[in-house]
Amino acid sequence: MKKFLVALMILALTLSLIACAPKADEPEAPVTEAPAEEPVEEPVEEPTEEPVEEPAEEKTIINFAVQADSTPALDKLIEEFNNKSEKYQVKATIMTNDSGQMHDQLLNSLSSKSGEYDVISMDVVWAGEFASAGYLQTIDKLLMDKGWKPTDFNAGSMDSGKYKGKNYVLPYFPDLGFIYFRSDIVSEEDAQILKSGDYTFDDFIAMGEKYMGQDGTKYAYAYQSKQYEGLTCNINEFSSNWTDIEGGLNYMKEMMDKGLTPEDILNYTEGETANALLNGETVFARNWPYVNGMLQTGEHDIKIDQIDYAPLPGGGTVGGWILGINANSKNSEGAEEFLSFISGPEGQKINAMEGSYLPGYNALLEDKALLDFNKLLSNEGFQNALAGTISRPVVPNYSEVSDKIQINTHEFLSGNGSLEDAVKGIEEALGE
Amino acid sequence: MKFSKWIDKRAGYILIIPAVIFIILFSIAPIVGSLRYAFFDMQLNDQSKNDMYLSSNVNLALNQETIDYLRYYLDIDLDSVEKEITIDKIAEIKLDIDDLEKYIANEIATSDLKAIVKVNQKDQEILVGKQQYILRSLEELYSIDDEFYSPEDTLAVASEFETTIIKSNFVGANNFVKVIADKRVRSTLKFTLVFTFISVFFELILGLFLALIMNRSFKGRSLVRTFSLIPWAIPTSVAALMWSYLYNGSSGIISKIFSTLGLIASPAAMLNSSSNALWAIILSDVWKTTPYMALLLLGGLQVIPNSLYESSSLDGATKFQQFRFITLPLLKPSIFVALLFRTLDAFRVFDLIYVLTGGGPGGTTESLSVYAYKVMFSQTRFGYGSAMVLVMALIVGIIAFVYIKALGVDLIGEDSR
Amino acid sequence: MKKAIKTSTLLKIIIILYLFIILFPFLWVSLTSFRPESDIWSSNALNLKGMRFTDDNYAKLFKTTIFNSLKNSLIISSITTVYVTLIASLAAYSIARLKFKFKKLLTVVILATSMFPQMIVVGPIYRIFVNLGWTNSYYISLPYSMLTLPVAVFILITHFSQIPREMEESAIMDGSSKINTFFKIILPLAAPGIFTSAIMTFIGAWNEFLLSLTLNTDEMWRTATVSISFLRGQFEIFWGQVTAATVIVTIPTLIIVILFQKQIVSGITSGALKE
Repeated sequence: MKKFLVALMILALTLSLIACAPKADEPEAPVTEAPAEEPVEEPVEEPTEEPVEEPAEEKTIINFAVQADSTPALDKLIEEFNNKSEKYQVKATIMTNDSGQMHDQLLNSLSSKSGEYDVISMDVVWAGEFASAGYLQTIDKLLMDKGWKPTDFNAGSMDSGKYKGKNYVLPYFPDLGFIYFRSDIVSEEDAQILKSGDYTFDDFIAMGEKYMGQDGTKYAYAYQSKQYEGLTCNINEFSSNWTDIEGGLNYMKEMMDKGLTPEDILNYTEGETANALLNGETVFARNWPYVNGMLQTGEHDIKIDQIDYAPLPGGGTVGGWILGINANSKNSEGAEEFLSFISGPEGQKINAMEGSYLPGYNALLEDKALLDFNKLLSNEGFQNALAGTISRPVVPNYSEVSDKIQINTHEFLSGNGSLEDAVKGIEEALGE
Repeated sequence: MKFSKWIDKRAGYILIIPAVIFIILFSIAPIVGSLRYAFFDMQLNDQSKNDMYLSSNVNLALNQETIDYLRYYLDIDLDSVEKEITIDKIAEIKLDIDDLEKYIANEIATSDLKAIVKVNQKDQEILVGKQQYILRSLEELYSIDDEFYSPEDTLAVASEFETTIIKSNFVGANNFVKVIADKRVRSTLKFTLVFTFISVFFELILGLFLALIMNRSFKGRSLVRTFSLIPWAIPTSVAALMWSYLYNGSSGIISKIFSTLGLIASPAAMLNSSSNALWAIILSDVWKTTPYMALLLLGGLQVIPNSLYESSSLDGATKFQQFRFITLPLLKPSIFVALLFRTLDAFRVFDLIYVLTGGGPGGTTESLSVYAYKVMFSQTRFGYGSAMVLVMALIVGIIAFVYIKALGVDLIGEDSR
Repeated sequence: MKKAIKTSTLLKIIIILYLFIILFPFLWVSLTSFRPESDIWSSNALNLKGMRFTDDNYAKLFKTTIFNSLKNSLIISSITTVYVTLIASLAAYSIARLKFKFKKLLTVVILATSMFPQMIVVGPIYRIFVNLGWTNSYYISLPYSMLTLPVAVFILITHFSQIPREMEESAIMDGSSKINTFFKIILPLAAPGIFTSAIMTFIGAWNEFLLSLTLNTDEMWRTATVSISFLRGQFEIFWGQVTAATVIVTIPTLIIVILFQKQIVSGITSGALKE
């Protein structure tokens, strides 16, 4: 009998271990992890029936998938919304800062028809793919209910999220590529030419040769040329929105051959570019508006009064982040409420004031308090850059297209492939 | 008593079953799952391919959304148009839309109006006919010279009708054919094989050399053994990150040293040129796994009885002869096990390359695993990606089989004597 | 005599060189982690003279979620170690000592799964996890069995086969059941081997990257290996912080290696030690 008991115990032990071991170890299951089937929607109805005693407990959780924000803006946005909203409580799921990785993770979650995220932050280039895949809810009805028109928002952001006649996104913050230059090195005359945007890459290269080496600088121009999404943005700019691919590639190569760019330019991302500028190593740098926020802190070798801004000769690529609602969200009403808060005038002003982001709600570009706070917005060179933006293709298989563009460009620039092959490869990728 | 005997008779099964259950749940079942994907043109970010469909289906949710949008745009148009004929045409189209909606509700939809439902050939033809009719009517409508809200948007919305019909995406062995024809598969396979061969070769030679040294008695031997474990124990992703710092063009010390030695043109060339990047990856891998190889072989060396060496030196054998005729033959099983483990690991290399070069420059250091990851998780072509991984698993299987057969290693040791 | 001295000097040089090569990357990274970010980037970054030191990088790193990730790694690896070691011991004993039908087949199946590229299971497992609501949780320990279980079984088979048969034979003669014998006689004897397999399992789980990257996407649930690879962000690279994180993530590994050097070596060599 004893043996029988032992045997039974072993069996029970193994089975229970298989079944429960990890469960017992998991006291802190996340709030959002509630089984997807029933309970999620309950609280939405409850507060209307019962007296509101503990409002904090009754609120429905809205899960916001968003990249980390190094500024206080995101926390502030969520705090404001949570204070204001009676029915909903937003919880941010902070994803990676590597946009390629975040894309893959979101895609994974959305394609499995999971409702784990209600509101999603996306890079502008993903919207075509996500919308065509049916991952996103349309927002035209929301716009109508709120009395907004698509033209009230940043055009570049809205265009990137319009697919087959339907709008799917609202802006989180728009972005664009432009040139930062050392106003303490470049002559007044040249600065005016740069700021007007009325110059060519030939002029630009000539200026680079003229100013490189002054005041301890080592290079003329730093931009993003590593094999990643940033390279697609840069070749877009060099080739004037794909109109002159051969010329664009030649300009890039010419700068490398003349030593105007850092030796390891082929490994440069925004990070290296910003460092090169802030450490005083380069005269010109192509980057996004966020670098201005870094300059404002005054923590770096180069101070903000040594810098001015100019449009790129071929136009600056539109970037930035946009917001959409998961088509499988179980709380789409709450998601809509949060989305219209964050993309509307209120949220966009918080984002611009707390995080120095560009506002995606156009009326704010005239807002006096904001213009006083962010000098970039009233800078002539920047305004010219804002007026001449170019976009990347809006196609469902964007990451495939972009991947091919990067590989072809990188092969040519690293000396592993011919110019003809690169041009042909890029044209093929764009044609698809 | 009887029951306990029953248990005892089957003790072998009972003890192994938990492990088998885990292997089935988390290895076999997913592998079989992937195997199924490989026969479909499955692409997660395409509404008509994001699942495995053996027959035609209709996406009711998308159809309904399209209908709602058309009504919405047509209502806006009604406010702005001026001509009688346009108003009539719009009313007519709206009736057609009602008709389509009714047809779906009565003939096709099941209880769930938002589902993806199967549809037979005849119903599908009728449905497509109705949708196409609406599309043509819209085109006629917008050819009238009148004030419309946004014809392009309306027509774009209507073009979604096409997406609502989901055709079977079973493609048989097509994905495998495509894998074999894929130029990028060939170049990544070539890179993977080159990487595997060179790095395993160096690891074996250096590892054997170090094992022979560590087999001698000297002061601090156990310290050397402990330090040898460090590269092996550091997570690959962390080691890769570390090396990416040491290799970087502006402040990486290794790239600086190599360029000073004249091995590379400039510090920046370390990861910029494809051949340098290959060697950079190999160096990191050799650094990380040679000590492991050495310890593995050391284990083998230590079981060779000392008496063999003693008697042979009495017979006047030189050190080299001893190595050639005693050490190598007796070490053979250890070498084969080490080679097998390392070859399979190197062939599947992912973390190291993913973090160190991401496949660059120009995709020249992309391994099969990295490419498969990109296809599956960035481009979401699960069908194609699964076929690729299966081909890869097949190659791994062949390598393992060749090793085990050709070298006669009893890996499992299942004969319990 | 003279020759012996020469070889021993040569030996010393080789050993020192070897240790230097092995440790150098880690030492240099540790050194970097204490330097100010601006120095790391400056043109005399590699100049040993006049190096300045600071604990800035660590202070900044402590403000990120790196410790939370370390905690996740620790918990996930521990859970994995406990259950994998348990079921692997049972299975390995069964394979090493007991006779039953299909043994060879089951053994090959268990061990062969370790040959599959991990990529192949990730997609389907992700979908199952999403359906069960298990993403971003400690449930990730379960699929870790794919990686660690075959290795653990493999190590333990070797150890069980080395235990002399006489012990259990006499126990069985005395009428003890096979399962009873396993727990009473074999387990205590195999304790060192089980410990070895536990350590190898722990290290395997600690170092895992792909599953963690895919299944636990939320910052609060990330493991250390994934967290650290994300420190190299897209818009800013702070090598100071990256190197500091490398040091912190490596410390637990170093402690384990130093404490359990013998067990690990025996785990590594158990494949090669077969007669």
